Amino acid sequence: MTDISEKPESQLWGREGFREDPYITVETLEEAGDAPAVILPLAVWLGLDEGVRNATNRRIGVSIAPGESIDPLLPLLGSIPVIALQFPAFNDGRSYSKAEVLKDRHQFQGELRAVGDVLIDQVAYMLRTGFDTLKVTHAVTLTRLADHNLHDTPVYYQPGRGSHTKAGTYSWRRVPDTQ
Amino acid sequence: MYRYDEFDHAFVSARVEQFKDQVERRLAGELTEDQFRPLRLMNGVYLQLHAYMLRVAIPYGTLSARQMRKLAHIARTYDRGYGHFTTRQNLQYNWPALKDMPKVLDELAEVEMHALQTSGNCIRNVTADHFAGAAADEVADPRPYAEILRQWSSMHPEFSYLPRKFKIAVTGAERDRAAIQVHDIGLHLKRNEAGEIGFAVYVGGGQGRTPMVAKKIRDFLPVEDLLTYTTAIMRVYNLNGRRDNKYKARIKILVHETGTEELTRQVETEWLALKNSDLKLPQTDVDAIDSYFRPPHLPLRPEGWSALAGARKADHAFAAWVDQNVTPHKNPDYGVVTISLKPIGGIPGDATDAQMDLVADIAEQFSQDEIRVSHEQNLILPHVAIADLRIVYDLLLTDGLATANAGLITDIIACPGLDYCALATARSIPVAQRISERFADPARQADIGELKLKISGCINACGHHHVGHIGILGVEKKGEELYQISLGGSGDEVCTIGDITGRGFSSEEIVDAIETIVDRYLEVRTDKEETFLAAYRRLGAAPFKDALYSEAANAA
Ligand code: HEM
Ligand code: SF4
Repeated sequence: MTDISEKPESQLWGREGFREDPYITVETLEEAGDAPAVILPLAVWLGLDEGVRNATNRRIGVSIAPGESIDPLLPLLGSIPVIALQFPAFNDGRSYSKAEVLKDRHQFQGELRAVGDVLIDQVAYMLRTGFDTLKVTHAVTLTRLADHNLHDTPVYYQPGRGSHTKAGTYSWRRVPDTQ
Repeated sequence: MYRYDEFDHAFVSARVEQFKDQVERRLAGELTEDQFRPLRLMNGVYLQLHAYMLRVAIPYGTLSARQMRKLAHIARTYDRGYGHFTTRQNLQYNWPALKDMPKVLDELAEVEMHALQTSGNCIRNVTADHFAGAAADEVADPRPYAEILRQWSSMHPEFSYLPRKFKIAVTGAERDRAAIQVHDIGLHLKRNEAGEIGFAVYVGGGQGRTPMVAKKIRDFLPVEDLLTYTTAIMRVYNLNGRRDNKYKARIKILVHETGTEELTRQVETEWLALKNSDLKLPQTDVDAIDSYFRPPHLPLRPEGWSALAGARKADHAFAAWVDQNVTPHKNPDYGVVTISLKPIGGIPGDATDAQMDLVADIAEQFSQDEIRVSHEQNLILPHVAIADLRIVYDLLLTDGLATANAGLITDIIACPGLDYCALATARSIPVAQRISERFADPARQADIGELKLKISGCINACGHHHVGHIGILGVEKKGEELYQISLGGSGDEVCTIGDITGRGFSSEEIVDAIETIVDRYLEVRTDKEETFLAAYRRLGAAPFKDALYSEAANAA
């Protein structure tokens, strides 16, 4: 799937549609210059001074690879504006579980973002496990998102974000909030 | 039986519509085969040696007559007049055209069936004891829980991109007919001392190239915790299962590498956080699903017993069939009938459209409209009155469906192998056919007694050879097909992986080798009561190896 022609630049998408991405993703803070919003790799982010992390004049988010644990972030969630969970390949599903744990169990209030090989068939799953935004490069996905074709089902067999229970049916079932 | 409600219908038809769109784009050339691949796999469409293959799910192996007729109709209309029942309670069509797939899926949806999650790294079709709801030894019917798991696992947003495929099996009796200990999760429904229903939970069983028996991680899980606990297991696996090597990606490897104790601790920790979540099952929901599986009303038919005695006396072949293919039912006036799809010299698991129609007719008239598919690739009529056995037998006889070999040496499980499968290294069907012919004599089979022979055409072990009392694995060596034998495997409640005997046998030699093993068993058994498996467990491999290899040496 990854060999489909991809646009070089990626776009940020959320339930409301495409938007400008205020963040730049960099390897170190120095590299960022005076950019007001940056995303750093986990190890670098953890190495920052608390003062720098919590500075009010700039937002610093953190990017997490599938193999990295979110545990060190858990006590600090209140100070993180954005967590970017990576999908280096569409079939690496670890970040779904992390999203669920961050949003559902730990009530992470910041922006949760999916970055990487995001295919249209996965968008609905990502929204339901708690992602707020997707950083999309895949051409077909971009077209479908622009057409508001989310490839979703009209009903769900599991609880998840963006859905609610409907009276008179089983406890595990949900319908999308738009219904 | 479970009946779809509006919710289920809306779900399945949305998925069929999506797939239609994808097939059209593929046929129009908008999607390459590479791009189409993950999409078709989600819908149970494989690309095999000769053609696309469609794998239809038969959840926990339960079918109505109407559904069986639909499967027959599809075989007739879109395939070459037959279908193949598999060891995972699925049905495979080997020859449908891609352009017809959407129509086939539409037709399946009409009778509340689909092909979803029959492939891909997701939670696959949930399987159950094929005697569920009928067997005399059952504690509780496992199917309501399999149905709850089926629903909950359908297009699961968190668990659709697991490290590898994931198979769950449920059984409701001490006697394990669902091979739960060679599944990723095995659930054994039972009662605790207080008389409450719950599950023993097994994790990390599997076959393939590294066969492993599952570990019990919980002795008793209350029913209300079924989905929370399963979620905890799935999450630990999704986060920690290996993704660097496809052959080490199943949960069995995670359990093995982490250690059962540590893995159990991780699961329990995760579960504590989930225990009281939205997924805790209210008893009202369990009861509502359970009500679909209420036992049918079976009128008293005590007259059957005397009729049976007479019929048995008059017809030896009928008597043999009753002995071999009819199992005790909860209701003493009834029996559970196994329809063997293993005629002597036939293809294990294949059924023609006419046979499927015939079974549907019989089920409607004589088995409360119910049919089951067993993981042993046979069909089951779960509720047949003893009084009707003779007529059912006569009807089955009209189309070659009355072979009296359930559980005997010719009741062979065999995967499709090199005749169909793109991954195969050897043929398995012709080997099954030749062994079946060699042991065709009913008296000889009866004398040998219970013997499960299972054949796979490659190390993936779709034919369950690791848990065959006698297992045969086809491998390729220097361009030739070679067959390795393993002995002493068993997929039931005392689960063991078979031991490889030694060097393999050529296609010409393999049937003789099996006969050598069987003859040696007949020599060494204490008496007819001691089955092959029991004799093997008592004596070990030595006498059999001796027979195999010294004899081979003599012949050379
Ligand atoms: C013809 C197309 C088929 C393909 C391409 C295929 C592929 C595979 C592969 C790759 C595995 C190994 C998975 C692993 O170890 O991780 C496997 C295992 C298995 N397959 Fe198949 N298979 C096919 C047909 C079947 C059929 C017809 C059956 C039933 C008769 C079946 C039932 C199973 C079972 C029971 C296992 C072993 C259980 C386990 O995974 O632990 N498969 N298959
Ligand atoms: S065991 Fe091998 S040859 Fe047989 S069906 Fe499975 S993958 Fe194919």
